[in-house]
Amino acid sequence: MKNRILVVEDDAAIRDAVLLNLQFADYDAVAFDDGKKAADALEDDHAYDLALLDIMLPGMDGFELFGLMEQYSIPVIYMTAKTDSASEIKGLRDGAEDYIVKPFDPLTLMVRIEKVLKRVGKWNAVYRVRDVVVNTETHTVTKDGEPVELQPLEFDVLIALLRHKNMTVSRERLLSEVWGFDYLGETRMVDVKISALRRKLGLEDAIRAIPKLGYRLEER
Amino acid sequence: MKLSDRITILCSSVLAAVILSVTVALLLFAKNTILSLSNEQVQRKQQTLRTSFSEMANYYAANSDSDAVHTSLVRYCFTRFSDQTSVLMKDGETVVSSVIVDPSAYVQKDGVDYGEATPVAVTVQGRRLLIAGSSTSVGGKTYDVYVVEDISDVYSRIQRMAWIFAGVSVAAIALGAFVVMALVRKSTKPVTALSEAAREIADGAYEKRVAVRTKDEVGRLGEDFNRMANAVETKISELEERNERQRLFIGGVTHEFKTPMTGLLLHAGLLRRANLSEDERDASLAHIESQTAWLERLTQNLLKLFTSDDEIELQTTHIPDLLDEVKDGVEPKLMERGATLSVVCETETLILNGDLIRSLLNNLIVNAANAYDADAKEKPITLTVKGKTFSVSDHGRGIPKEAQSRIFEPFFRVDKSRSKKQGGSGLGLALVKAIADAHGAVITVDSEPDKGTTVSVTLP
Repeated sequence: MKNRILVVEDDAAIRDAVLLNLQFADYDAVAFDDGKKAADALEDDHAYDLALLDIMLPGMDGFELFGLMEQYSIPVIYMTAKTDSASEIKGLRDGAEDYIVKPFDPLTLMVRIEKVLKRVGKWNAVYRVRDVVVNTETHTVTKDGEPVELQPLEFDVLIALLRHKNMTVSRERLLSEVWGFDYLGETRMVDVKISALRRKLGLEDAIRAIPKLGYRLEER
Repeated sequence: MKLSDRITILCSSVLAAVILSVTVALLLFAKNTILSLSNEQVQRKQQTLRTSFSEMANYYAANSDSDAVHTSLVRYCFTRFSDQTSVLMKDGETVVSSVIVDPSAYVQKDGVDYGEATPVAVTVQGRRLLIAGSSTSVGGKTYDVYVVEDISDVYSRIQRMAWIFAGVSVAAIALGAFVVMALVRKSTKPVTALSEAAREIADGAYEKRVAVRTKDEVGRLGEDFNRMANAVETKISELEERNERQRLFIGGVTHEFKTPMTGLLLHAGLLRRANLSEDERDASLAHIESQTAWLERLTQNLLKLFTSDDEIELQTTHIPDLLDEVKDGVEPKLMERGATLSVVCETETLILNGDLIRSLLNNLIVNAANAYDADAKEKPITLTVKGKTFSVSDHGRGIPKEAQSRIFEPFFRVDKSRSKKQGGSGLGLALVKAIADAHGAVITVDSEPDKGTTVSVTLP
């Protein structure tokens, strides 16, 4: 089952971009442009695993909405344009799981979302792409129902690509997400793992090398 | 050295010099007077003695047969008039004397004349003596008559007097110096207070004032000082206020830029990294276009806001022409919103900056059009110019009372979501205010929720 995420953001451009990014990463996202509307809708449907809240919202601001989120035990990540630490501190003191300052990098947002979901135990451990199913809890990979043996590093690269599905991930980013910052610069290692993944999982056409950018796992 | 100490020392020295010289002069004068009185007294006494003795001796002893008789008669006659100060001598030999000195040693004998015998002052064995002597002739023999007056008492009295004088003048000087010091301290105390206050103000206590209420120059200095402190405090608080406004404004601008920036970055990222469908790509590009247009509007308005802060050029402007230009300028925006503008003009010319006032009216009219709900059947707007007042009225939703004082703040929005949809930059009314301020004009807002709003700008 996909993780369900509530987005409340009044700016259409940001809202649409965040929705697209969430959809690519296999999240089920629902968005509102007004705090009051979101609050009203929560009464009927509050089965969300996480909420992304803007702070300055028409109708009802992010801090006010937080009370409702607590009531329904929905963890919150604030998306704030406020750089002053006062609002950050208020947000975190009140119990928000995290905050991200605008303008933010969508890939970072995805990593934060995953971390929060894992922390609150709502993380959907299963990724799917085409006929491949990846279970992050049991560390097992199946292709068309048949188990596939992957090296630990191959498994981590696959997860990083799945986490940013349909988005190009640079070799540097893959290195830092999988190996950590110590290995920055040794991008050859990435290419080796990628070709192993392509071969073992039959994803030759799904894992695309995008010139000058990196790799993209496509499923569209 | 402190000014008060210097003044005290100076004044005290002058005072001491005056008192001392007066004392010395008085003392000398008194001494001379006393001495000359004694002189005269001794002189008179000697004359009286000599005359009386001479007359009597010549009467009784002039024709004595023998020297012995003569001498004892003379001695007798002399003792009739003498006292313990009298001395009678003959040829350097003492005939009658009750004093310890030989007066002839000190006095030049005048011979037998009857002239004045000027007293001579001498000190013998620690005693001050005044000696007067002259000669007289008795039966052809010459006698010297002396008066030896001991004036040691007079001298010691003069000395005592000098000590008393010295004591009194030292006391007078001390008292005078003390009074001078007290006076100087009192008159320089406000100066000390002023200097302390100045230091406190320099350290940032701009509300500090001095309580100097004397009617002299120092008092005036105190008043002037307080006036200066007032001016400084006002200026500082103005600057602080302005600083704070600017800080808030820059914060507002940054915040205001962040939203479109975030949209731009996210969509640019999607276009570059994601495999988007045709529709998604179009939507992203449309977002990028609208966000960029918004940024452009924002920077345009910011630029106007900053330039309207400078000194502006005022010109005599033909108002009906100006209003025609305004009407032409806003027409497309009004058509878009389905609003209609009617213009009432009762003024021929006014002195103003045409470009800025056009921008002001443009903003007010667009705001008036946005004050109607999107689906309102009619959206009438009236622009009136009467005397020096421009008014823009609508019958829209009005401004809540609590928001009325804040609508001219940059980035203040009564309803955030609506104003963004209508393409507001959040700076329209701030710009109106800045332009009005640059003209020295007064803005009044008359608004009632659901009845409408009239914004009036009155030129000075």
